Amino acid sequence: MEENPKTAHVVMNIKKKSIYTSRDLSDRGFEESAPGSFPFRRGPYKTMYTKRPWTIRQYAGFSTADETNAFYHKALKAGQRGLSVAFDLATHRGYDSDHPRVAGDVGKAGVAIDTVEDMKLLFDGIPLDKVSVSMTMNGAVLPVMACYIIAAEEQGVKPDQLTGTIQNDILKEFMVRNTYIYPPEPSMRIVSDIMAFAHDKMPRFNSISVSGYHMQEAGATPLQELAFTIADGLAYLEAARAAGIHVDDVAPRVSFFFAIGIDFLTEVAKLRAARELWAMLVKERFSPDNEKSLMLRMHCQTSGWSLTAQDPLNNVVRTTIEALAGVFGGTQSLHTNSYNEALSLPTDAAARIARNTQLILQNETGLCQTIDPLAGSYAIESMTTDMVSGAMDMIREVDKMGGMVRAIEQGMPQRRIQQSAASRQAAIDSGDEVIVGMNAYRSDDAPERDVFDVDNKKVLEQQISKLDHIRSRRDPGTVKRALAAVMEEARGDHPAGSLLERMVDAARARATVGEMSAVLEQVWGRHRAGQSTVTSAYRKSYKKRAEFMELVDEVEAFARREGRRPRMLVVKLGQDGHDRGARIVASAFADIGFDVDLGPLFLTPAEAARQAVENDVHVVGVSTLAGAHKTLIPALIEELKKEGAGDIAVVAGGVIPEKDGEWLKKKGVLEIFGPGTGIPAAARSVLQCISVGGKGNTDR
Amino acid sequence: MSKNNAEKEKPGRQSGLADGDSKNTGINEIQFRNWADAIRGGSRRDLARAITLVESNRPKDVEPAQQLLELILPFSGRSDRIGISGVPGVGKSTFIEVLGKELIAAGRKVAVLTIDPSSPLSGGSILGDKTRMMEFSRMDEAFIRPSPAGHTLGGVARKTREAMLLCESAGYDVVIIETVGTGQAEWRVSRMVDLFAVLMLPNAGDALQGIKRGILEMADIILVNKADGSMKEAAEQAANEYRSVMDSAEAGVSGKTVLTCSATDLESVRSCWQHFAGELSQRKKDSRFDERRNAQLLHWIRSLAEDSMQQILQDDSASRNILNELAGQVQKKKITPLHAGLAYRRKVISELERHDKRNKIPF
Repeated sequence: MEENPKTAHVVMNIKKKSIYTSRDLSDRGFEESAPGSFPFRRGPYKTMYTKRPWTIRQYAGFSTADETNAFYHKALKAGQRGLSVAFDLATHRGYDSDHPRVAGDVGKAGVAIDTVEDMKLLFDGIPLDKVSVSMTMNGAVLPVMACYIIAAEEQGVKPDQLTGTIQNDILKEFMVRNTYIYPPEPSMRIVSDIMAFAHDKMPRFNSISVSGYHMQEAGATPLQELAFTIADGLAYLEAARAAGIHVDDVAPRVSFFFAIGIDFLTEVAKLRAARELWAMLVKERFSPDNEKSLMLRMHCQTSGWSLTAQDPLNNVVRTTIEALAGVFGGTQSLHTNSYNEALSLPTDAAARIARNTQLILQNETGLCQTIDPLAGSYAIESMTTDMVSGAMDMIREVDKMGGMVRAIEQGMPQRRIQQSAASRQAAIDSGDEVIVGMNAYRSDDAPERDVFDVDNKKVLEQQISKLDHIRSRRDPGTVKRALAAVMEEARGDHPAGSLLERMVDAARARATVGEMSAVLEQVWGRHRAGQSTVTSAYRKSYKKRAEFMELVDEVEAFARREGRRPRMLVVKLGQDGHDRGARIVASAFADIGFDVDLGPLFLTPAEAARQAVENDVHVVGVSTLAGAHKTLIPALIEELKKEGAGDIAVVAGGVIPEKDGEWLKKKGVLEIFGPGTGIPAAARSVLQCISVGGKGNTDR
Repeated sequence: MSKNNAEKEKPGRQSGLADGDSKNTGINEIQFRNWADAIRGGSRRDLARAITLVESNRPKDVEPAQQLLELILPFSGRSDRIGISGVPGVGKSTFIEVLGKELIAAGRKVAVLTIDPSSPLSGGSILGDKTRMMEFSRMDEAFIRPSPAGHTLGGVARKTREAMLLCESAGYDVVIIETVGTGQAEWRVSRMVDLFAVLMLPNAGDALQGIKRGILEMADIILVNKADGSMKEAAEQAANEYRSVMDSAEAGVSGKTVLTCSATDLESVRSCWQHFAGELSQRKKDSRFDERRNAQLLHWIRSLAEDSMQQILQDDSASRNILNELAGQVQKKKITPLHAGLAYRRKVISELERHDKRNKIPF
């Protein structure tokens, strides 16, 4: 069923009451339950933190495997319990470091892994049978799992000894995160392939981590995050069932991953509600025999989006409050963000404080001594029930569309999330929502300049020389045969054999991540998602009418003067798929009267320049969040010049440290819009750049 | 002035109107010739800027645009002009990606002009997504230009037609005009293309309910897309339903071709194109092709005249004053409405003459 956006009753979040009483509990039919028993509202385990506190699991990875390995050793020594690997975007998207499309991305937002040799370096000196490893990998999940298994094998560790989690959650990639490679159908086949392999050979390993985190980061409200994540989880169990796997063989190895935003009570309620929803729905739809199939276990991460670039020490406070919500919500493991992550990857000092935040909670506060201490609170229990029923409504809506895969194909969750994101932006821009230090109570102190930078060129050179070395030393015949076997398996009917098993052989033969991904691409093609974009949400949510119309008039005046509306190409360059900012800018600028071209994801600088020229835009706005700006934006300016279009203005927004901004301005970027820039300010500045006498040259 | 102005001295930038000294009609004839030559020589930048010029809403841009068009006019008209329409999600871009690559492989140059709706609230727009045309859009022999529809339908029709002529003079021998199938722009587009294809979804029942009879009348070919996998049968069934609707309908609707198509399948798209090409060459043989173009030309000129007259009547304050004055006399019951109308016509004609002289419009 196609949803009708005009009549669909869209509930974005639960409504909080100003006071809750015992009546709220009885109105909602509240029944007391115990931790460790159905429906698990109070926690998956009987003893919770009283026997063992949550696992401190900080997500980290950057540069080369050596450098990340050194960081891991330091972190483990400083009290961290498990590892969580951040891969770079080239690896996520299944490209070797020497692929021409990834030049700016190698080693930037994560560690570069090209072969099993890199994976061995990554875990050098770390016993994989003892330290649990979580890997955020979805697109190139098969080659990365294969490299991990071989790295362990060559340490003398068998698959059944491995503990940890692979994210393996492709649905949210199509929804918000965009590091997919293949089309939805074969991608879902990969998900169940890995679930089946893990069930057979890696019984201690979580074969999927159903993630809502990226939804909230992309703009979803906590309620939307909850509903769509649980719906995704159900879709994976369906896929496993369709592949002939019994629910009790997969559900106990399914884990979840939620974001914790700054709305404290709502977030506590959300985490408690997630367990109850999952238990009820899995019981109802899959009737498992094993009670463990009903138990939702989760990892949580504090919200990166809630951090500000302004007055960054405020972020320590935000992160602490969010971490506390995770603890009150009963999470099994936790990542706390570093205070300077709105600007760059964490510096050593910032990473230490982030880790210490959890150590203080565990060791000094006494919080671990009492299980689910907020239980019975009128507010918390009522809000938990409201979360359950609100999410249930949304899940039923998804059911009516034919399930989550269908709903995503039709763009329903994407549109809802974009609407929420645009509304939130309007609320912040109009001052309805206060963010301390950013749109109110600003400090005059100089901004944080201490940022972490990866020398992308150096990493790239090292990766290329390692790749050349491995390619010249391996046995080409074995590699060829192994890759051919992967291809044959992919061509065959599902679920005949195991793709991961074939991949493990290829990894052992030293096939690269890029080669292993490419053979599958030959069979299935590379997926391209359309860019449907919501409009009007920003306009509707901007409460200060007069202020908004003033801006609209300025755009109209430009259009009269120039004979056409200001036209802007909004692009992301390289493999960075974080498009919340780009989409909000596109949608809000169109709402104030710009003509906006929203470029496809994953463009090279040359492709972006060509689109700017053909569409003859006044300005290109580059949104950058993954650190590749210093390579890719100057390249874009060069390409524009090559096409005789050096007069097209270039502006940039996103996570750009101040010193990089100054550097980019020297390279010809006219304006930099850092985190926290409001849409009206950005729009005015762009208009200025492209008006006669402004910074850009538009005497056309 | 900014550092960017240094760019002006670069080769490739000398040909176009892009230079800052082109205020008002200050472009001289040599510059126009250089510009036209650059377009014909394949400069993407100059073609793109020429399209911007013809699309401009600024009155002072009208004459320079016409001057430029006159220089390229002798080199226009040599393309197959194809209209492609259909609701969002029907697969237009995917179809164009596959078709475009195929045509280029066969040695042709393909321009795509897409018309995207503008928001009635803000006037702004989010324009043509090239995501599903990535491989095609990267090719040297391809040119894709999305344009906002704006608010005047006559305006977008003129601009699209002129943009099409510019593309033809740049050597594009297939020009595809893509619209989103809401019924308004299609009527205009069907009158500027040699072949108008409408893509439909395979859910026949719903589609037949919702389809605007008008669009069927305009279409030369109806393609029921997504005839693949589990939808194949539904698509065949839908195509049959369309055929029977056509057969039962009055003249003007019958005699259309209904095909099924899978835009993701090269063979299927190829066979669609063979159908298009066959139809075009048949019409070229029996002169229907030229007749259609001539009729379109007449229609175009007439609608340009009507549009511009209407605009002058609306915007010109002298004409409005005349109308108000006559209306006053009718209200006072001094003259009949018919006499007022005739007097208005007479005065408007002289007003139009004055307007043209004032704006130095030739002929």
